[in-house]
Amino acid sequence: MPNPPSPPAAPPAPEYAWGAAVLSYLVPGLGQIYQGRVGKGVLFLVCIYTLFFYGQRLGGGTVPYGDGTYTVSSNVYLPDPAILPRTQVLNFELNGVLKALYNRPQFLGQFWAGVASWPAVWQYLTCSKDRPSGESFLGNYQRTPPEEVVNQLQTDGDKTYELGWVFTVIAGVLNVMVIYDALAGPAFVARASREPETSHANAPVGAAP
Amino acid sequence: MPTLLSALPPEAGPLPLAAVSFYWHLPLLIVLVSLVYSATRFDQWGPILREAVRWGLRLTGFLVAIMVILFVLATFI
Repeated sequence: MPNPPSPPAAPPAPEYAWGAAVLSYLVPGLGQIYQGRVGKGVLFLVCIYTLFFYGQRLGGGTVPYGDGTYTVSSNVYLPDPAILPRTQVLNFELNGVLKALYNRPQFLGQFWAGVASWPAVWQYLTCSKDRPSGESFLGNYQRTPPEEVVNQLQTDGDKTYELGWVFTVIAGVLNVMVIYDALAGPAFVARASREPETSHANAPVGAAP
Repeated sequence: MPTLLSALPPEAGPLPLAAVSFYWHLPLLIVLVSLVYSATRFDQWGPILREAVRWGLRLTGFLVAIMVILFVLATFI
């Protein structure tokens, strides 16, 4: 009696490199560098940090404020909920960080740029409108600017304030793809790299060297 | 709502694109986005660069088309 055909072998379970993914969140490309894909890691690092910091630079500016001037050095910030108007969504009143994110959703994208956006979190946790910026070791960096300053930047500037935050949000969102690349490898793997006798350079990218 | 074009005096004529510094930041965005996106698709430099060029052209075409539409709307309508 002939043997029944054996069922096709199940595909191997994907290998996920969670450590490398965390590293790529912290610093774009660091997970790839850890995995031995140094060139690609450096490419991610340079491209994403260029987008992020160039966007911050575009969004900055100095405007008259009070008796002196106020310099906005970054458009990456999470506003203090105390200065925001009452915010309701579907009869549910938002407070704390939810309220801040609802009023500044750009930060949901910017946050994924990693440690580069953490000063905004520090400023959110430690600063309030009553606390002078000089009391923070970060000064005004990634701190919510006063509303009058933002209005004046938008009115007097050449629209780069808005373009700047677009750059920083794109940097953060692109880093989500970089994190996934560190976690599970590229979307397309070259045919040669599927052969079992491949070199380390083409080994499953989930594994660290 | 005032716009960049409506803020100009009528005698200024069509706005020369070279004068709008806003657009000069976009090539950097196109190059970097294309490179990063392509590098998440492939691991070898050849396919990464070829895909980046393709995406760069697609993005440029899309942005130029939008710019032309807005320019025509703002100038003739």
